[in-house]
Amino acid sequence: MPMNFEQFKEKLLMYGVDVRNWPKEIRSSGLKALDSSFELQKLVEDEERFEGVLKTRKYEEPSRDLAGRIVAAALPKKKKAQRNLGVFFAEVLGEFSLSRRALAAVSVSLIFTLIIGFTIGFSNPSGYAFAEQYETNLEDFLNYEGDVL
Amino acid sequence: MLTAEIVGSGAGRQRDAFSSDHGGRQISVNMDIKLLHLDDESLICRIQEGSHEAFATLVDRHSNRFYRIAYRLVSSKDDAEDIVQEAFLKLWDRPNLWDPGKRAKFTTWFYRVVINLCFDHRKKKKMINLPADIELADENPGPDVLFDVHQKQAVLERFIRKLPERQQLAVNLCFYEGLSNNEAAQIIGVKVKALQSLVMRAKTTLKYKVKRYLGGGSRCQ
Repeated sequence: MPMNFEQFKEKLLMYGVDVRNWPKEIRSSGLKALDSSFELQKLVEDEERFEGVLKTRKYEEPSRDLAGRIVAAALPKKKKAQRNLGVFFAEVLGEFSLSRRALAAVSVSLIFTLIIGFTIGFSNPSGYAFAEQYETNLEDFLNYEGDVL
Repeated sequence: MLTAEIVGSGAGRQRDAFSSDHGGRQISVNMDIKLLHLDDESLICRIQEGSHEAFATLVDRHSNRFYRIAYRLVSSKDDAEDIVQEAFLKLWDRPNLWDPGKRAKFTTWFYRVVINLCFDHRKKKKMINLPADIELADENPGPDVLFDVHQKQAVLERFIRKLPERQQLAVNLCFYEGLSNNEAAQIIGVKVKALQSLVMRAKTTLKYKVKRYLGGGSRCQ
């Protein structure tokens, strides 16, 4: 069914001046109508000028760091929301940026040092004392008269 | 210098997505390449599980798009950026606001979030304190007036601002953002026929005003 002037004008406002971009269902009838009518061609030219004016509307590009700023702003919130011991240790380790292998080496050496420390500590008799040796004999203390000068 | 680094789940599977320097702070974000291939809805599901990387991916993908519509509605770079940031931080704080059960596309839903924030912002500014140049621009200039580009832009902005809210949205979404009628209709919450009617009325009004304006002064096209 051919498109009349009013229908074409309506579609022009709806879908813009590029008839080739109109929806498939009306595209070919729109192109046919445009080819056969000088009046419609003038209408399209007029619409092109109008759209040209609309396109002069002011626009400023966003800052280049917009996305980074948003992501950074969300970071403290994340830390606040998920604060627990595991996260804390993960963050601490993350700060040092160690590789897994280096991290494993550090952990093993720490455990090894602890074991050696405990072994030396328990095997040294020199610092060992029975608790009784340190008990205060209250009766002796009270009866002590001291040296008379 | 404070460096915030978000590390992905495996070495060699990350890329430096973007870095920024603002206020002396260098922010670099590594994103898992796997996440880049996920669609928006899957990313939101990850965000709901607390994935900051998924959030970074989503922001990187869409911040400019939502900035554009915010800018169109508030006409200020700083305000538009603040609004987009506020919208994304709301999403980060309460990701469950997006309900996958409703089967709405993330972008459609988020356009609504940003648009609502823009209108709230405009209300707070008492239907916006139009930039000085917009206020000063004369809609009915004498024939001897030569329009410069700046003044033309200001008048055009004023004409668009004077349209009813839904017509403004229709023009911004369909003409300036190039969204399909279907998507724009979903965002505004009207049927496609109604959306088309909004676009037509908005364009007809604008065309009339622009012609009258250009007809009143010396043309410089």
